[in-house]
Amino acid sequence: MSMLSVRGLTRRFGGLTAVDNVSFDVYEGTIHAIIGPNGAGKSTAFNLLTGFDTPDAGEVRFEGTRVTGLRPHRVTRLGIARTFQNTQLFDSMSVLENVLVGTHWHTKTGFLRAALHLPGVRAEERDSRELARHHLRLVSLEHLADVPARDLPHGQRRLLEIARALATRPRLLLLDEPAAGLNSAETGQLAGTLYRIRDMGVTIVIVEHDMGLVMDVSDEVMVLNEGAKIAEGPPRLIQKDPAVIEAYLGGDGGA
Amino acid sequence: MGRRHPTRSRVMAHAGLVAGIVLLALPLVLGDLYLVRIFTLVGINLVMVTGLSLLFGYAGQISLGHAAFFGLGAYTSGFLTRLGWPWVAGLLAGVLVAAAGGLLLALPSLRLKGHYLAMATLGFGEIALFFFTEAESLTGGSDGLREIPAAAIGGFSFDTPTLKYALVWATAALVLLLAANVVRLRPGRALRAIHGSELGAQACGIDTVRIKTQVFVISAGLAGLAGVLYAHYIGFVSPSTFTLNLSLILVAMVALGGMGSLSGAVAGTVLLTLLPYADAIIPGLSRDTVAFLQDWESDIHGLVLILVMLFMPGGIAGLGRQLAVRLRRTSRTAEGGAS
Amino acid sequence: MENAELLQLAIAGLKNGSIYALLALGFTIVYAATNVINFAQGEFFMLGGMFAVFAFKTLGLPLIAAVPLAVVAVTGVGVLFEVLAIRPRRDGDQMSLVIITVGGSLVLSSLARHLFGSDALPLPEFTPGPSLAFAGAAIERQTLWIWGLVLIAVVALTMLYSRTRLGRAMRACMQNREAARLMGIDTGRVVMISFALAAMLGALAGVAVTPLTSTRFDIGAGIAVKGFAAAILGGLGNPIAAVAGGLLLGLIEQAVIPFSSTLKDVVAIVVLLSVLFVRPQGLFIRERKEKT
Repeated sequence: MSMLSVRGLTRRFGGLTAVDNVSFDVYEGTIHAIIGPNGAGKSTAFNLLTGFDTPDAGEVRFEGTRVTGLRPHRVTRLGIARTFQNTQLFDSMSVLENVLVGTHWHTKTGFLRAALHLPGVRAEERDSRELARHHLRLVSLEHLADVPARDLPHGQRRLLEIARALATRPRLLLLDEPAAGLNSAETGQLAGTLYRIRDMGVTIVIVEHDMGLVMDVSDEVMVLNEGAKIAEGPPRLIQKDPAVIEAYLGGDGGA
Repeated sequence: MGRRHPTRSRVMAHAGLVAGIVLLALPLVLGDLYLVRIFTLVGINLVMVTGLSLLFGYAGQISLGHAAFFGLGAYTSGFLTRLGWPWVAGLLAGVLVAAAGGLLLALPSLRLKGHYLAMATLGFGEIALFFFTEAESLTGGSDGLREIPAAAIGGFSFDTPTLKYALVWATAALVLLLAANVVRLRPGRALRAIHGSELGAQACGIDTVRIKTQVFVISAGLAGLAGVLYAHYIGFVSPSTFTLNLSLILVAMVALGGMGSLSGAVAGTVLLTLLPYADAIIPGLSRDTVAFLQDWESDIHGLVLILVMLFMPGGIAGLGRQLAVRLRRTSRTAEGGAS
Repeated sequence: MENAELLQLAIAGLKNGSIYALLALGFTIVYAATNVINFAQGEFFMLGGMFAVFAFKTLGLPLIAAVPLAVVAVTGVGVLFEVLAIRPRRDGDQMSLVIITVGGSLVLSSLARHLFGSDALPLPEFTPGPSLAFAGAAIERQTLWIWGLVLIAVVALTMLYSRTRLGRAMRACMQNREAARLMGIDTGRVVMISFALAAMLGALAGVAVTPLTSTRFDIGAGIAVKGFAAAILGGLGNPIAAVAGGLLLGLIEQAVIPFSSTLKDVVAIVVLLSVLFVRPQGLFIRERKEKT
């Protein structure tokens, strides 16, 4: 059985159909890429998978549980974490604190317990910090733990967002253009990081423009064009698929 | 470095604590009743601003109607104790009514973004003011409620200025201590996360609506608590206290102190509360200067709001942090030069 | 209730409503250009009346000169406010800008107190004389002035938006500021002109209504809430909806009077809160989903 099953997903904005009757499955332990030309509906699809947007039709199920209609934080608590195309970090907080927020939902110190510093608060805080440092190590940012997030360069911001997403203990991680703005060395490191995350038992769905990275890391590729799925399969086959070539070159030929 | 940091800040915190206690004892030692009176007001404002700092400074949710919750606390406790309720019961009722008012407003408003929330809270403040003025059987109308008894616990009455001062500051210190715990732990991080990026916070599994509602209710409850302290300190409440102007002053205090900083909010509160009583702090200040400060108080508050946003968005706390960084840098170069 | 009484209430409602409409337009214009609610909008209204009284009483100018002079002066204040307080933070976050306008409101009203004192100041009617009879109801002459001025302002604004390059630039900013900037529109200039227009409309409303109500340094916040309620009732960001919202709010207020005259003052706030909570996009605007 697939881990994530998407059926007939559709989202319209006014006259535009951003995501058009898309169905696909993501299997546990794989890296699954979604590619397509600009405006193909990739980010909209991500928002629909994570509760940040509601589909006009269709359904998303994660390990059998219905995801559509849940608010974003409920989706995260099911075990689906995500990053954003425009990173959504907490700029005024330190790198470590950003990751600590990722541990938020599986810790429990509320206003009252924190205010009164009840027993257990200190231990939970210590454990959270240890866990957060562990996740920073995974993306090689531990040495920057006390730096304000706003001072990080672009590439490290993307890595921090991944660490924060991992801190929510996901079983499925959705990455929205993680290589955007990275240089080739950083992209190479990113590939390594993705493998490491997969080997931890986290399934990955990645929206990405960098074809080198996509063809390199993914087990399965789905291609969207103008909101509709036009191809899916292993990278080697996708590269040769006439519809995909047409979609990518067609845009250029028309211009 | 990771180890040294907390120790140093702990030393700083202890130093601040000691300095605070010495400063607070000063008016009592000097026996200056004018100082005692003014600093009682500072303490009351601190309770209120601590709540607003959690809501506005930390979570980034603006309220232009906090005077309403201050008023709800003051009127509720004033009304009930005049009926013969014990002060502690009035206190609890005052806090609960203010918190309930906060909940009532929070449930629909917190879906609203920045300026809509500002307008909704402003509107709520105006409605509350209308209620305080018109509901004469409860609030005494524009004459207000007179002869509100002093705070009393059991048989012990806080009926001298010194005792009132002690009660207010014990409360303020407790509130600050609890709030300081909150902001450096998990809930405080959630508040700052919501301010930083609501989308990011949701993606971390934070129920942002719930947290915002909680902090709004806490903030309203603290304003209510301040209102209770105020009512039993002055002994009289009337609508003219709970105006939009007060709500704006509170916002100015938080903004001047710096967003996301409790110590900054304390500094902002002390400064702006003392402004019209500058003569009490600065000896030899001419009567004219004081009169000028009082006359131009609102202009100064407005200018503070504008200038802080334009030129020092980090407020006093931001300046402090910059100074600390600079000091550390100079001390490091000094060390480097020695070795 | 008698028909004539109803008509009388409707006249009063449309009179106040057209004042709210002008303020709502002011909110809308600034919002369209900056995405910020200008909390100082009510102060432009207050200053309009104040400056007119000053020019008329203190400077001894005739009304026909004092009124336009006041409007021009307040327009200048609007521009000054934009240049000094908004422009330096124009690309700042919404919260900072909102706080700046709140601060501006405090500063302007307090300055007015220092300059003009804290008493209520009257202004004579533009054309004194007995009220006109209309189907059993009476219409004050000043009310006709208000309607006339509002009509001229709305027509002029419509022309500006539809006929001029500047108007097209402002409309483009209203649709999508970023796109407008990319198309080469000087969005900075649009913001400044928006503040000038908002100040002008506010002042016009203030001048027109002062003969009926007199003016005082602290009336800005109250009228701003009403103007904003009108803007939000119609749907923020759309000039026509703002005018409709203003008139509707004026009528709703009058409709409450037969039941309780003290409640009249909070009607606008109740309307404001209800609309915010139930239908924040306004009555006359179709819902538009914001992109994440």
